[in-house]
Amino acid sequence: MLGPKLEGRGGISLVPPTLDDYRRLSRSMLQPEIGRFWGPRFGDFSDETQEKRFKEGADSQTSVSWHIAFAGEVVGFTGIFDINWIDRDGESGIFIGRHELFGKGIASEAIRLRTQYAWTELRLHRVHNWIGLGNRGSRRANEKAGYVQMGLYPRSWYRSGEWYDEWLGEAFPNTFPAKG
Amino acid sequence: MALGGTIRGKKTSLRMPVEADLEAHQRWAADMRLRHADGVWHEPAMPATWKDRLSEAAKDKQTLLWSIDGEGTLVGFAVAHLWSLGNAVDINRFLVEPERWRKGYGFDAALALHRYFFDYLDLRRVNVDISADNVAALRIAERLGYVEYARGHEARYRDGSYVDEVNLFVDKEAWQQRFSGEREYPPLPPEAFR
Repeated sequence: MLGPKLEGRGGISLVPPTLDDYRRLSRSMLQPEIGRFWGPRFGDFSDETQEKRFKEGADSQTSVSWHIAFAGEVVGFTGIFDINWIDRDGESGIFIGRHELFGKGIASEAIRLRTQYAWTELRLHRVHNWIGLGNRGSRRANEKAGYVQMGLYPRSWYRSGEWYDEWLGEAFPNTFPAKG
Repeated sequence: MALGGTIRGKKTSLRMPVEADLEAHQRWAADMRLRHADGVWHEPAMPATWKDRLSEAAKDKQTLLWSIDGEGTLVGFAVAHLWSLGNAVDINRFLVEPERWRKGYGFDAALALHRYFFDYLDLRRVNVDISADNVAALRIAERLGYVEYARGHEARYRDGSYVDEVNLFVDKEAWQQRFSGEREYPPLPPEAFR
């Protein structure tokens, strides 16, 4: 399903995704500046496939997805995926599609909004995620919203002569910062 | 999901699933012992729905489904998902029906499946997530050389309470150290290459 609009601080908000923004953001995954901690930088990015994926995400009853707006412009996406409504657990993710905006606190605010929504609106019990250990900015943004390390997956992927480990985190309602 | 081919163990064989197996899936899906362990393939459903599920299973090239026979009788099934770059695999489901527990079928089929992953598909790593209270599955994983890399706290809910999830992997190097004698085929004689 597509998430509702959540107004945050500093001009950052989560908004229901649109197909046009979805197409544009998906193609930003193909840029090398983004790909260090992201996917293989290839795939089916045809309009037809993008529309099909967007519709599947919108119709899904086991995921909630948002686009991230900053200063009135969509710059990334986030969501909670593969929600198990019996376990009340889901896997979270985030993507900022413009590298010049890294380090400006956009992800921190988006994750705070998303995590608060998981507890106060979806009544989830737990959310978890995988982050490149060397992606300190993303890891730190998740930790600020209450994620704590539950393990390390060694040698997960390979970039430029180095193996990258992955940091596994989990969050619960009682790990969410009291100040919100 | 693609349908897996034959992989032979000593007591068990993994083989391509057929429609006749679906009645067992319906029975397993309704068995609370299996639902409390590490999960069934799908929820109970009408026979036509199971047939549709099997048809759909044949189409996804990255997810593999096998039926497991034990000494000639259907005793369980396995589902594995290949990573998109094809260098590792997650075992999503691995089930032996309760009436056949403690006969060594689980380990025998798991050993054969891992031999196929490492010695035939040349994969780098196999991953599995197991409920912390599933002692039998954890024991099989330990014997196969798995190591724990993470523990999800209170990740699974069943029978009125939460249980942790143990995340494990085994690498090809660990497999080869422990099971160097496990091969799909014997070595070819030198003259075969001339």
